Formats: sequence, structure tokens, C-alpha cells
Amino acid sequence: MGLADALRGKSVERRGRIAKPPPDGSRPLPGWRRYWPMYTAVSPFFILFAVFGVFPVGFSIYLSFMSWDGIGETRSIGWENYAYLVTDSDFWQSIGNTLIIWLLSTVPMIFLALVIAYALHTAVRFKAFYRVAYFVPNITSIVAMTLVLGSVFSDSSGLLNSALRAINSGEVGWLSDPWAMKVSVAAITIWRWVGYNAIICLAGLQAISSDVFEAAKVDGADNRQTFFRITLPMLRPVILFVAVTSTIGGLQLFTEPQVLFPVDDNGNVGGPGGEATTIVLYLYQQAFVFNRFGYGAAVGWALFLLIAVFSVINWRLIGGRDEDAIGTGKRKGKSRAR
Amino acid sequence: MTVSRRRFLALGAGAAAGGFGTAGCGSQRSLGDADEITLWTWDRSVSDELVARAETKGIPGAQGFRLSRTNIGGHFNTKVRTALAGKSLVPDIIGINSDVATYFPNQDVFVDLNDFGAAGLKSRYLDWKWNECITPEGRMIAFPMDTGPTGLFYRADLLQEAGVTTDPKELAARAPDWDGFIALGKELRKSQERAVICPNIRHVWSIRLGQLGSKFMTQDGRYIGDRDELREAFELAYRIGRDGLSAGAPEGSPDLYGVITSGRQPVGIGAVWWGLAFPESAAPKTEGKWRVADPPGGSGNVGGSFLAITKYSKNPEAAYKFITWLQSPENQVKAFTEMSLFPSSPHSFTRPEMREPRPFYGGQRTIEVFGPSARRVRTVYKSPYDRVMDPVFAAELANVESGKNVDTAWRDAQNTIERELTREGAI
Repeated sequence: MGLADALRGKSVERRGRIAKPPPDGSRPLPGWRRYWPMYTAVSPFFILFAVFGVFPVGFSIYLSFMSWDGIGETRSIGWENYAYLVTDSDFWQSIGNTLIIWLLSTVPMIFLALVIAYALHTAVRFKAFYRVAYFVPNITSIVAMTLVLGSVFSDSSGLLNSALRAINSGEVGWLSDPWAMKVSVAAITIWRWVGYNAIICLAGLQAISSDVFEAAKVDGADNRQTFFRITLPMLRPVILFVAVTSTIGGLQLFTEPQVLFPVDDNGNVGGPGGEATTIVLYLYQQAFVFNRFGYGAAVGWALFLLIAVFSVINWRLIGGRDEDAIGTGKRKGKSRAR
Repeated sequence: MTVSRRRFLALGAGAAAGGFGTAGCGSQRSLGDADEITLWTWDRSVSDELVARAETKGIPGAQGFRLSRTNIGGHFNTKVRTALAGKSLVPDIIGINSDVATYFPNQDVFVDLNDFGAAGLKSRYLDWKWNECITPEGRMIAFPMDTGPTGLFYRADLLQEAGVTTDPKELAARAPDWDGFIALGKELRKSQERAVICPNIRHVWSIRLGQLGSKFMTQDGRYIGDRDELREAFELAYRIGRDGLSAGAPEGSPDLYGVITSGRQPVGIGAVWWGLAFPESAAPKTEGKWRVADPPGGSGNVGGSFLAITKYSKNPEAAYKFITWLQSPENQVKAFTEMSLFPSSPHSFTRPEMREPRPFYGGQRTIEVFGPSARRVRTVYKSPYDRVMDPVFAAELANVESGKNVDTAWRDAQNTIERELTREGAI
């Protein structure tokens, strides 16, 4: 059997499913010999994935039990990296920072994205222009953007503080005050992702059958009622998607704080007091500034665990209910109680 | 929020595989063709013209070899470490920043330059710079490139407004030490209410640290970072902040430039390259108004860099020939005129090109300050663990600047360092 055969998809598919002996009476070839052209065709991805996906993941597990400066010999130190991790105040600070920045960015962003999507959906003029306009921040170079916004936020020479001075309200240490620093990072994150998420929500909105809206109109629902009673519930799967991806992205936040608060000559990251050090930024500092690759790997796995936990929580909070609703009526009642 | 992570990875993987296909994944250990000496440096670290000459006309003194330079963009250290860890396709020569001691624990990945007779060139270079190339075991793993002797930069026009002398010699005599410098700062406040003498107090710490005879560890690995001398430097930084003489600009922020362009910081101690990085590039309109004088508290060095030959080199002899040619006193002068890289060879200080009056500094011959300053820098042992300790002190000083008690900060710094050094197995 050759490539030509394989390309005649139909016959292959039939054989694959039923595995009938070929008409000439010879015994069927073992799977891999029959399907090698297909395996060959799909192999590039899997080979590359093994080399650049599976291997690094596996190697980072191995590395997290090692002490390695990146050049010399690796030295096995058992669970020491993880033991240090749980007592490392900088690490916990980075988790705290990440969660705060994540809350400060994700919650307003999802809300804004929904509002924008709704507005885009109902807008009558310049639809295409608005869609493009909201999406542009997402495809702009994040580094360049952060640099520009960095001078907007800059403490004494920044645009924002100049504006605050002009209206005679006090200056804010956007790049030095622990809370304002987090707000600055969150603001850049929102600016970048709100349009992207709005487009996804918009796609979800457009998928809702207009029959439902018409029925609501006939029943006398106003705009508000339609939004909260029809649009939001029907958008739940889309919101789940946006929430989960925003959470994963939010927990992996790196570029914005890294550019806004560059690594200084001493190797410190995340601005004054490390108040904007996110988990990935901390990982980067440990592995690539201080050359503690084993410890960096351990931080990476701690982050993995955290993302897994948050994804499950998200799924239970938003998606779980929806899924139950599709299931039996009994469980629907139970979920309502929750 | 990166949704198509997997696809992104796959694309990257595809591109990388393409690269492999064309490069060929042989067992060759040194990067480049058989007659090519490969050099990895970052931008503006060597004279482009000299490198181009070695690339086209071959390496002087090494028949049949030519140079091939790669300018590594960002993350230089990471890329170098990755190449060294791979033990394959490693460049013959790499540039090393001022943190050369970080490589001491892995000194065997570099050749000992003494094997090629480097000791014979010692007298050409500044002693303290030369000593930084030598590991505690006595191997010379790096060769001096540029240096960063410090000076006191000041705006003559603003000093005149405040009624302070603008003559470099007189000013140096007026502020010979840090107390004098603080007094000068207070004097400047009379004509300019918000005047400061440093961008932030960590800057004071690092400059003061560079003036001392030793840093955090002794050559035999004993921790001395808790000594009184350092405590005083820590408190000096605090005092300058307390007196309102620090702008409190975060490290790496645009405010660092803001205080210079606005004239809020009319004086500042900085390495020779500071003038280029800050006033000359950020405040070109102040041309002619700046001067330099001897720095209060003594000379120090900030920055500078090195070249090292890896043990994977296809021909370390030729690589050595190239390095010594590139860093000869006359070629260091070339690097200075072309790239403003300050020489590590005092032989070059007397050359006419170095002695040219500098228009940005009102026609002052700045070499008359930086030359003697470079000679006065003391030999300081830098340990491989400095990279762990530097950020601790800097971070605590940032905390002090935002209101933390200075005694608590000092204690916290000591505790953190003890913990970090124990973890590194250093003490």
C-alpha cells in the first residue's frame, strides 16, 4: 500500500474503521505499516512538539530537583528547591502581587469587554472601524506600548501626574507606590486585552439566534432586561472562555511589569520593593538574572499548580452551572442552591 | 491571555527546525568556519571599525584567520550561558560585563590567558582592572576592555547662579568627601529649592561602595559585608535621602533622565560613561554647560567590561592575538574616539586624541579628571556571590527611601544575605 492509496482517503477510512481483510485474501498488515503515510504526514508536528514541548516540560521537572547555574554540572538536591520555595517571602510576595494585579485587571476587563461587545453589536455606524480600533492594541508591540505608557505613568515627569497637578489633586506615585504600581500594570493589561476579549464576546453575541431577542421584544423586555436576562446567560460559555484564558494569561503576566520596571543593574525586578514582581517575573529573575535554573524550574511548577487550581475554580464558578443545566433537572435545582 | 500558545510554540518549533536543517547539527564544538574566529559581544562594546577590519583583512598576527562578529541583542548573558551549556557551537571569544566574577565557579570553560603569555602585557593596563581578570586560583580568564572611572559632573551655569565656584580644582577642594558634597547640595538649594545631588539613594550606595577597598567577601570566601565601613555607607545613603538631597527616582525609570534635563540635579557622581548616557544624550541643549571634577570621597569604578576565550575555541592562539590587538593601547584610543569606551590602558591617556577639549564640557580636557581618577581606583576583590548580595542591599535601600527604618533595613539585609549565602553554599 502506497501513498496514492493513502491519499484516496475514502478507502483508507473504510479499512481503518472496519479492518476488513483486503479482497485478495492476504492478511491485514499491522497498523503502523498500513498507516505510515498518514503518520509520516502528521509527524513533523509531533516530532517538533516532542523536542520543543514535551522535552522541556520533562526537563524542567528534572531541573526543579537540581541545583544548576546554567554552565557547570547539575547537582541533585532533592526537594530542597521546593522546601525553600514555601519559605521564600519574595515568592509569596510575587504570588500576592500577581493575584492583586490579576483581580485589578481581569474583573474590570471582562465587564468592559461585555459592554464594548454589546455596543459593537448594536452599533449602527462605523461598525468595522470600531472593531478594528478596539482590536489594534492587542496586535501592537507590547514592549513599545509599555514604554510609551511608562512615560505616561512616570512619577514626576509623567503625563498622568501633570494632568493631576493641573486639576490640583495630589500626585500619585504610579511607579513607586505599592498599590499605584499594581494599578499601572493592570491598566496596561486591560488596555491591551479588552478589545480582544470584546471581539470574542461579540462573536458569542452574534451566535445568539435573533429569534430569542425578538421573542423578548414581543414580551416587552427593555434593553436592560434583555442584556441581563437574555444576553448574559446565553453568553455564559463565552464568558467562561474569556475568564479562563484571562486567568491563565493574568497569572503569566510578565512583559508589562518587566518593561515598566526594568531589571536594574543590581538584578532587582518589579520596581521599588518588588511590588510589581509577578510570578513569571520572579521566575525570570531567579533563572536568568541569578542563574538559579533549578529554582526557577521549581517556581515554574508552582505556577503550573496555581493555574490548574484557578482554572478549576473558574470552571466550577461559571461553567459548572451551565453544564449542570444541560444535564438532569434534579442537578439543576442543586446548583441553584449553591 | 495568550490563547494560541500551542500554535505559537509549533510555529517557533518549525522555524527552529528550519534553522537546524540548514546549519547542520554536527559535533563541531566551536562556532564558525575553520578559519573563522567567532566573537560574541553586545552593541557598542567594541570598535566597529576595528572589528570590520579584522573581518575583511584578517586578524593581525594570526595568518589565515579572520574574525566573525555577532552582535547579540538582548539577554546577552542568557545566550552566552546557553551556548556554554550546550558545549557545542560555542563562540571562540565572548564579551563579559563587569560581573566577570560570576564566571569564577566555572572558570574551566575559559582558557588561561597566562598560557599565551598575557603576564608580559600586565604593565600596559591598570592594575586593578587586570586583577579583576584573575580568579582566586590564579587563572587569568578574561582580558581588560573598557573601564568606568568616576568623576563629579556638574552644571557650571547652575553652580554660578548659586554662587558656588565653577573651577574643577576649587570645587574638588570644596567637596573632597561626602560631607562636603552634602554641604554643597545644601548650598545649591539656596538658588534652587528642589535641587538634588543624586537620582536615588541606591546610587549613593553603589558609588560609595566603589570607592572602598573591599566589597562583600574576602578572597578566601569570608563574608565581610556586615562591617562598620559598609554600615556607614548605608547610613550615608539614608542621610542624603533624609536631607531631601535625593530625587527618589526609581532605577531604570524615565525620571532618571527627567532630573537631568530639568536641571534639578545640577551635580552628580558618575562613571565616565554616565556623561554620555545622561546629559549628552538626554539633554543635548545643555552642551557647554557641564564640567567634571574629582569625585568627592575618592575614585571608584562603575561598569567596564572584558573579553574571554572559551575552551571550545578552534584556535585560542589566534583568538588571543585578536584580543591583544583589539585592546592594544592605540586601539583602545580608537574605541574611545569612536564609541566613547574609556581605555583600561593608562598608556593611552597621554595620546592627543584622548586629550582633545570636549565641547560638551565647555572645552574642558576631561581626561585630566578621568585619567588620574582611573589610576587611583583600588583593587577590590569581587566574589561570584556579589550578584546575590548587590540586589539585597539595593532593595533594602529602596525600602529606606520609601520610609523604612534604616536600622531595620540594615538588619533585614544582613539576614537575607545570610540566608542567601547559606543556600548558595557560600558560607
